[in-house]
Formats: sequence, structure tokens, C-alpha cells
Amino acid sequence: MIADRRDRIFEGVDLWTVILYVLIVIAGCVSITAASYEAGLPDPFSFSHFYMKQLIWVGAAWAVALVVLLLDERFYHMFAYPAYFAGLAMLVAALLFGREVNGAKAWFEFGSFRVQPVEFAKIATALALARVMSAYSFSIDRLGDLTKVGMVICAPLFIIILQNDTGSGIVLGSFLFVLYREGLNKWLCIPVLLIAALFIVSFLLSPMALLVLLILVCTLSEAMMNGMWRSRIVFLAGLALASGLLYLVLALVSPGWADLYHCLLAVTLLSLVGVAVYAYRTTLTNIFLSLGLFVGAMIFLPTTDYIFNSILKQHQRDRILSFLGIISDPLGTDYNVNQSKIAIGSGGFFGKGFLEGTQIKYGFVPERHTDFIFCTVGEEWGFLGTMTVLTLLCLLILRLMRMGERQEEPFGRIYCYCAASILLFHVLVNVGMTIGLMPVMGIPLPLMSYGGSSLIAFTMLLFIAVRLDASTRQFSLDKF
Amino acid sequence: MIGNSEGFVRMRTLQCVVLFIFALLAGRLAYLQLVDKRYAELARANALRHVVQFPPRGEVFDRNGEYVVQSRACYDLMVVYRDIGKQGFDTARFCAVTGVSVEKLRRELANARMRPRAARVIASYLSTEDKLRFDECNFPGFFTVYRTMRQYPRKIGGNLLGYVGEVSAEMLKRYPDYRAGDYVGMSGVESSYERLLKGVKGVKVQEVDTHGAIKGSYMDGRYDSVPEPGRYLVSTIDARLQLLGEELMRGKVGAAVAIEPSTGEILMMVSSPTYDPDELLGRERGNHYMSLLRNKRNPLFNRAVKAKYPPGSTFKLVQGLIGLQEGVLRPSDLHSCHMGYQAGRLKMACHAHASPIDLRFAVATSCNAYFCYVFRDILDNPKYGGVKEGFDVWKEYVESFGFGRKLGSDFLDEGNGYVPDREFYDRRYRGSWNSLTVLSLSIGQGELGCTPLQLANLACIVANRGYYYIPHIVKRIEGQDSIDRRFYERHYTKVDPKHFEPIVEGMWRGVNVGGTSTAAQLPGLDVCGKTGTAQNPRGRDHSTFLSFAPKDNPRIAISVYVENGGFGASAALPIASLLEEYYLTDTIRRPELLARIKNMQIYYPAYDR
Repeated sequence: MIADRRDRIFEGVDLWTVILYVLIVIAGCVSITAASYEAGLPDPFSFSHFYMKQLIWVGAAWAVALVVLLLDERFYHMFAYPAYFAGLAMLVAALLFGREVNGAKAWFEFGSFRVQPVEFAKIATALALARVMSAYSFSIDRLGDLTKVGMVICAPLFIIILQNDTGSGIVLGSFLFVLYREGLNKWLCIPVLLIAALFIVSFLLSPMALLVLLILVCTLSEAMMNGMWRSRIVFLAGLALASGLLYLVLALVSPGWADLYHCLLAVTLLSLVGVAVYAYRTTLTNIFLSLGLFVGAMIFLPTTDYIFNSILKQHQRDRILSFLGIISDPLGTDYNVNQSKIAIGSGGFFGKGFLEGTQIKYGFVPERHTDFIFCTVGEEWGFLGTMTVLTLLCLLILRLMRMGERQEEPFGRIYCYCAASILLFHVLVNVGMTIGLMPVMGIPLPLMSYGGSSLIAFTMLLFIAVRLDASTRQFSLDKF
Repeated sequence: MIGNSEGFVRMRTLQCVVLFIFALLAGRLAYLQLVDKRYAELARANALRHVVQFPPRGEVFDRNGEYVVQSRACYDLMVVYRDIGKQGFDTARFCAVTGVSVEKLRRELANARMRPRAARVIASYLSTEDKLRFDECNFPGFFTVYRTMRQYPRKIGGNLLGYVGEVSAEMLKRYPDYRAGDYVGMSGVESSYERLLKGVKGVKVQEVDTHGAIKGSYMDGRYDSVPEPGRYLVSTIDARLQLLGEELMRGKVGAAVAIEPSTGEILMMVSSPTYDPDELLGRERGNHYMSLLRNKRNPLFNRAVKAKYPPGSTFKLVQGLIGLQEGVLRPSDLHSCHMGYQAGRLKMACHAHASPIDLRFAVATSCNAYFCYVFRDILDNPKYGGVKEGFDVWKEYVESFGFGRKLGSDFLDEGNGYVPDREFYDRRYRGSWNSLTVLSLSIGQGELGCTPLQLANLACIVANRGYYYIPHIVKRIEGQDSIDRRFYERHYTKVDPKHFEPIVEGMWRGVNVGGTSTAAQLPGLDVCGKTGTAQNPRGRDHSTFLSFAPKDNPRIAISVYVENGGFGASAALPIASLLEEYYLTDTIRRPELLARIKNMQIYYPAYDR
């Protein structure tokens, strides 16, 4: 039986995924070599160079992949919750005893080797999410189950934000992608995304504009969920009318005592009671969701100013401001992005050739072998190279989704989608920041950036999906 | 749980989201890499450093092949602020090695901080020894650039040779091929021949890393160019004569110019007070320059080509020549003079001499009255119908001698001098004036202003009997067969050469027989000369002397002008005479005179107040 099991390790393994994985890892190794090779050094094959170290990590990652494939799929099912809590514990431990790198207290250090537990916490969260959502009695439309999902995602997120590693934390937000696939009402997804966008720009808008936007977003998305447009529009008109009247009356009674914003706020808060009563009597739980969103946003939006000014570090504030184009300082804050755009832009169509990229070779691009590895591709291999890498990554993500779709068990499907969404978010943010589409966050490019813990974590993430998929296929192969 | 068909729609939607995100990234990449060409340029600006290779500036020799201006290697100390490094550097050691003061270093670093990626000069004129010591220490962010610095072995000819300084802001605007910090000739020969002396800058394109460290040559030097050294010049100056001239003029304000009549080559040109050209070099240049500017005697003003002096009696030569040409004067004409010229209430005084006298004697003895007659005859010539028309004719003659206009020498800052015109007197006398009103012009007084160069040129014209070559300072240019064509052309005056003989005769007599210039006599050299004593409303008379020698085939024509020097014979004459003696015989046989003139100090209340 055991021998039988050994024979069947590779049976059903999705070959496309493995090929894509290997190609991307090779592209990563080539780029790291270009980024860290220095001509004329006496011993080019010494293991003190990044590219030689990365080779070791690739070997280690492949061993990990083998181990992951060796384990039975039921193990991951069982392992989900323990792994999740272990992940939380590691995050807390990093927060308490970890080492601070670039302002984020999110690292363990063993000698010269550094591990970021958040890389593994992502996998654990994905497993836990899959486990919660695949429970037989789970319904995403039920408020209690949705809360459970929210807790699973928010617990690590909270700790990561405490670690001051906001970039990695936001990755967990990408699970909205999974929730949508699992049937989350799309009119809930859209206000969540909109409110998230509001958070980013909230300090640019006046409180009045913010409040009006919030009311509109919540009411209209609720109207999209439940229909009954007329009453919702009457509600909005009522709000406007009531606040206007209140303002007039107050202005007559004691001029200058209250402005329109406070009137609107008061009227809205009062109306919430009415809305809650209405929702309870018509048993429309969706309204409670909107209500919750609104109240949550009302509570959190004023805190963004506080978060922005007090919790975020100066460099993070500058990054956001410069991304939004509010400040511009090509030699200071914008330096990284600027240099990265120069490196990629100067590559042209065919690129400058392997080891010929001056911006990379001479160190103009910072972090060129880790977070800005994509610059190397852009400069040395040009548009052809960037398109090849993007295509490989895109195919891998689509393949993961495809693997998810062919799972029989929701656990496997949800996990595959989680893996896909994590990869997608990483690619979007990492590549986006190198070309000035996204603010700079310390997020590596999956499978390509230099770094052992990141490579191993992504390999695990990917190969657990491959394992789950392979088991399903073994099972279906067995049937015939 | 949702149904399968709903799930399928959602899968498709999510696939579209993924594709949309990748399309967004691909689109942005296409824009960056294919459409926007700016980045290739920026990448080159990042990684390439164009190191300018400065050529050595051309050198200047005197007519005997002796160096008067040399170029010496020196270095500019540069910094790229960004590359200094966070830990800084040992400022005390840096200052000790390079000789830059700590305050200056601080100040320059604060300035360099404004543009951290640009190379900036910290200090100029680092000597080769300092540079070698600096190179051994290896301060990151600092480097040196080769330049050349002027050196004056003879320490002569400050205003004549000019000086070299950093290019000014308005020059940068006018001449785009200069860059800030380039050296450029500011006056004299340095500025007139700037184009030839400066050479052509070269460039070395190097690849640098983000710390500014040089990583190698770009494309194996395909875009490099070699600097082309500036051309050397052979000047017409005789360095030894120039040195003697400067020594003789020391303590006096004025100018002395000597020209070779047969070529127009300037043998010597002294503007006094002069300065040591080495002072306008190196780090102390600014201080020296300011103290020269503050000097009330104004040593930076090149009196030899710019000052406007009344020519005094030396102008009688011109007067006589015009009279001869106009036919109102014959050499044998006699005019009487009893201590002056009397016309109604106006009296032009003269000194005691025999009477009546002819032209030769009048030149020799410098009779005022004689030339008053001549001048009035020219202006009142009935041929022209009126004094104003006569004056126009006179003015035309005067200008043909090179007065009242630039001669066109190779000094860019040459002055015009001044010859008044008819309109000037019309304005001053409201239209009613006659030959008596402007009588002071007859003896070179009044509104007339001549530069010492123009006076020396007059000496040449008389020496050549009627023509001159435009005076010039450069004899030969490296790599060229000839200098500018205008220096090879004879310029004739409007006076026929045949009329010059009596004037020359008069000048010869004034020196060798009896007259005002007898002190200028040199045995066997046939010196001709004419003194001048220009009245000066603001103090003692100016002393001037105009001379050439020998009488036949003259080799040197000279004009000396000493402000407040008194009689022509008291200050200017001995200077000119000593210079002629030295140039023509290579020795000086009158050491007492030499010593006396060298030590003569004239008191200048107008300057030294």
C-alpha cells in the first residue's frame, strides 16, 4: 500500500502548472543573476553571491514541493486550523520578539537568514478560509457565517497591521476575489471596494463630500441588492429635505450654530434607527449588511486622518502622497519609482541584453534583486521579456483558477482561488509599483524575487493546490 | 452555496478581471517601453558621465622667441555631493591635503548640497603636487579635473596681455559653446585672440555607477574626443624693451607706445601704473582684482589704447602737414613771433626764440604763434567759402591720420579718441564761431583727445613719410601663414608724401641742431623728435614726446605720455630717448639719467586724494 502510494505521488499532478512554475523560477534566477552579477570578481561561483544563494533556495523549494506532494490531501484539510493558529502565533511572536526591517517588525532572524512569517500566515489563512467556507452548513448569505469569514481574514490582518507591514496585510484583502467566486453578493463587493478606495483618498475630501458619497454608495448598493428603487430614492430625497429644513430652522433660531454637514449627519444618524426597524420588519438582512458597512465606515473614515498622520511612518505617508501626485520629489521619495521606470522604459522593445543593463548593473535601481526584480526583466529583455514574464504569471493564475473549478470538494476550489488571488495581488502590486501604477509597498514578485522564505512559501502555496487537484484527479481516474 | 451556472458566470467574470489586470500592466509597459522615448535618454543621463577634457591654453612668445605667457598644469577640485557617503569624511585631513580652508569647504559643500548629483567646483588652481597627494587619500565623491593656468615668466604687460578669468553670465548667454566655469580671456591679447588660444575641448564618456564611481569607458570610447591644444602666438612685443618701459614709467601715470614703422608691429606698449599679471591668477585672484579696482590710479585701465589725452605741441606736425598739402604754407614761409600770437584781445603765449622763423625752425623750436597762423590759414582759406567748411576739410585731414576713430588694431577695447566736429562747436557757441574761437586746436589743445597709440601711429606716419600700417600686437599664429590681411595694407594719409620732408627736417633739427628736444640726441642715430606740453586745467601740464629713429629707414617710432609730467622735455623725452637707445643699441650709456628717470615720482593730487 505504501509502495502504491509512492508510485502515485506524481499521478494526476497538473503538468502545466509545474512547467509554468519551473519557467518562472528560471526567469527569476536569470534576473537575479543579472541584478547581482559583478564582472571581474575573483570567484563568480562562490556562494556569497545572491544568484548562487538563490540556486540553493531553488533546490530547497523543490524539496519542499516534493514534501508537499508526498502528504495526503486529507492532511491539509485537518491541518488547516492548527496551521492557522500556528500562523497567528508566529505573527504575534514576530510582533513581540521579531526584528525590525524597513520599519516593519515582521521578521525572524536566524543567523544571516531571515524569515517573514507573514508569507506562511498567508497560506495558513487560505487553508483556514477554505476550511471554514467548505463546511457543509456554510452559507455566504448568512450574516453569522459571513462574520466568521470576516474574522478569519481580519485576525491576521490586524496583527500584520500592528507589525507595521501594511503592504503584506493588504494582500489578505485580495480574498474578496474568493468570496465573490463563492457567491458573495456582488453589490456588497462593489461598496467594499469603493469604501476601500475612499479610505485611500479620504484625507483629500471634505467631511461633507465623504458623508454624501458614503450615503450614496451604501443606499444605492443596497437598492441594487433588494430592488425597490423607488423607496430608496424617496429615502435619499427625504434625507436631503430633512437636513435642509433642519439647517434652515437652526439658522433662523441661532445663526452660525450648526452648518449643513452637522445637520446632514444628525438626520442620517436618526434615520438609521428607522432603517433598522424597517429592515427587521421586512426581514431584509442585506440592509443590515449595508447598515453595518455604513456605520463601520463612519467609525473608520475619521480615523484615516489619524492613521495617516500618526500610525503611518513618514516614508509611507510620502509614498502614498507621491503616488497620488500630491507631492513630487524625484530625488527623494519618488527616487525608487523614478529609477525603476527609467530602467524599464530604457529597455525598449528588445532590451539591452543579458548583463548589459546599465541601470541595473550600476545600482541605480534600489532593491533590484528583491522587490524591483521586474526592472531587470524590463531593462535587459525589453518589452518582449516583460510580456513573456507577465504571460507566464497570467497563465499560472488562470491555471490555478481552472484547477479550482475542476475540484469536486469546495475546500480544494476555495483554496485554489485563494492561491490565485494571492498571486494576482502580488503581481498587480509588485509590477504595478515598478511602473508607477501602484504606490510602493514592500511586496515581492512571486517566485522571482530573491529570498528563500518568499520562494519556499509561494512554492508551498502553489503545490498544496497541485496536491489537492492531483488527489481529485486520482480519485476520478480511479473511478474509471 | 450557489448553483453551477451562477458559479460558471462568476468564474468567467473573475477570469476577465485577471485578464483586465494583466492587460492594464501590459498597456502601461507598452507605453513605457515602446512609446515614451524619454526614458532611454534619462538612463543615459544616469549612467554616463561626460568628463570634459580641457585643452592647454595657447602660449605667447615675444618677437625674439622668449616666453611672455606660459601655460602650467593645475587642477580643479570637484565634488558630487551625493557620492560623499553618509559617514562623511575627515575634513581636517582633507583641508590639510588640499590646502582649502575649512570655511570655504563648508560653504562650497552647502552650495553643492542644493544639487546633489551635479559636479561642482570646490576649489580651483590645485597644484600638481597637491593633486597627487589628494589622489593618494581617495576621498569618495571628490575628484580633480585638469585645467591650465597662466604664468608670466617676465611679469610684464599686464594690460597688454590681458588676463584669464571664469566666463561671465552674459558671455555664457552670448556664446553657447562656453560652459560655466570655463576660463576665457578677459582683456588684451587674451581676449582678442581667445578663439585661437582656447583650443577645443575634448570629452570622455564614461559609465558610472550609482555612487559615481567610474566603471569604464562607454562603447569603448566611440563617442570620446581628444582635446585640441590652443595655438601659440608670437607677439610683436620685445620683452626686454617692454620691461625697461615699465620700469621707466614706474611712479608716473601715463602710457608709452613704440611701433616699428615699416610693419606697424607694436614693440612695446606700457600703460602706467601697470600690475604684475601673476596677481590675477590663482586663488588670490579675487582679492588682488578688488584691490586693483580700488586703486585710485586705476591700473586696470589700459591708457595706451583707451585714454584720451590732448596731444599738445606734437599735433603741430599734423597742422604743418595739412598746411603744406592745402598750399597755404610753404616751408620757407616766415612768420614772426614775439612771445606769442596776438589777434585782437586774444593772445596765445609762446616762449622766447628768434623771430621771424620758417617752418623747420618752428617745428624744432615748437613755436605756438607759427602754427596759429597756419591753422587760421587752413580754416579761413577762401577756397572753401567759410570757416565752417574749412573746418570740415581740416577735420577730414586729421582723421586720415588716424585720429578720432579706432585704428583697427587687435585690441578689442581700443578707444576712439576725440576730434570735435562742426556740430559740436555749433552747439557750444550757438552757431557763431570762427577760426579764432577754436584757435587752441592749432597747438593740440582744446577739445582734441588722442590715445597714446594714435600718437605713436602719428610718429610712424611721419617716419614713413606719409603712410602707416595698422598697429598690431601679434606677428605669427601657429598653423597660419599670415595674420589678418588688414595688417599688411599701407594706409596713406591725405597729405602727399613729398610734404613730409620739411617736417622731418624740423624734427631732426629740434633734436640734433637746436630746439626743444636736444636732450634726445643720440650720437650716430639721427633721432627725430617733437616735444609736447599739454596744458591741463586741473593741474600740472602733461608731458609728451613723439619721436622716431633713425631719420632714414627708421626702425622705431615712439610716443610717450606722462600725465602731469611738466614740459615735454622733462619727463616724456628722457623716457623715449632711453627706450630708443636701448632698442637701437642694446645698451644704455647714460646710467645716471636711467637711474634718475626710474626713481622719478610724480605727485598726482587728482588720483591720490
